[in-house]
Amino acid sequence: MATAVLAVAAATGYALLGHEAPDFALHAVGGSNVRLSEHRGDVVVLSFWGSRCGQCRTQLAALDRSFKTYHPAGLQVFGIDVDDDQGGALDFARTQALGFPLLLDPQKAVARSYLVDNLPMTILIDRAGAVRQVHRDFSSKFEPAYLQQLRVLLNE
Amino acid sequence: MPHVAHPLRFLAPQAAALRLVALVLGMLWLAPLSAWAQSAAVPPATAAPAASAPAGASTPKAQPNPSGEAPAASATAPAAGAAGAGAATEAATDTRGLDQDIQGLKKDVVDLNRDLFVLEEELLFPANTQVAVFISMDVGDFFQLDAVTLKIDQKEVANYLYTPREVEALAKGGVQRLYIGNLKAGQHELVAFFSGQGPHERDYRRGATLKFEKGIGAKYLELKINDRQRRQQPEFEIKDWE
Repeated sequence: MATAVLAVAAATGYALLGHEAPDFALHAVGGSNVRLSEHRGDVVVLSFWGSRCGQCRTQLAALDRSFKTYHPAGLQVFGIDVDDDQGGALDFARTQALGFPLLLDPQKAVARSYLVDNLPMTILIDRAGAVRQVHRDFSSKFEPAYLQQLRVLLNE
Repeated sequence: MPHVAHPLRFLAPQAAALRLVALVLGMLWLAPLSAWAQSAAVPPATAAPAASAPAGASTPKAQPNPSGEAPAASATAPAAGAAGAGAATEAATDTRGLDQDIQGLKKDVVDLNRDLFVLEEELLFPANTQVAVFISMDVGDFFQLDAVTLKIDQKEVANYLYTPREVEALAKGGVQRLYIGNLKAGQHELVAFFSGQGPHERDYRRGATLKFEKGIGAKYLELKINDRQRRQQPEFEIKDWE
């Protein structure tokens, strides 16, 4: 198990793989605040995105489908907007009506703590709060593999 | 607005060193116990061959019997069964004992962790320089807390975002330690900014200031959010625990 995790870490070069996910608290577009540590016990998907990124919107729509399917099984999804100007995120939230919260990180402190170097970037966190998978891009052809990883985490 | 990490993280090197020492001590302490637990776990595994040995030993005794009748074998069977049952009971007793030992060990680890935490706090925040700021809320009908920013001597020392669950916990009477740090003796100023939703769901931002004298002992301050029924407004105050 540890060997596999190390192998993946080496393959992707993502330093947080296998480590505890850094905790954070952020404002949500809806108004309330969200703290990651309150969702320990759930499988959490963090999707870092920006309003100017076309792939990000496609990915958020795909994540919304997954969220609606697997939320009863303990899946939480948070879209984290890293725009300086929050207007784009607010417009997107109004038009798309996503089922999961969109969080605002204008100071990019959370993005820095998760070493975000590409948008969209998706991080899968297991029920114990450890970072298990990272995806630095999104394409619809990756979706089955991504769903497979999600099911594995949900079944643990 | 990002969550501000626990104050201990500002002194991470010292805390990390302490934790490392604790870990090494813990491992040294646990190693003999672990070895003992393994050795204690062996008897049930070896008990089965030991129990089967008498049954196997009875077979040569039965072979010389010229009649080759079954009674010899049937006589050894109850003996083997009794031995097996005895071994199983012994194994069950051993397992129960092992469970109790493991529970005791877990309790010791929890106690050790608590002692280390206290030790860490005493080392990092000695009583003569320690300043701790707490926050509490009474009722909270007129104010829905969103965030608190804390400044001591014009320097921001804490910035905390509250989730609905945390606000609920405060409204139920919980007290949160918002900040712990060190200050030298003398005059200091504490400023707290509270933001959230006030009456009629309007955005609300208020501040409270306290000038306090830090003496030789530890200083405890409390940010209190109260409802002022007569004015239908929230009230913010800072209490100095003497």
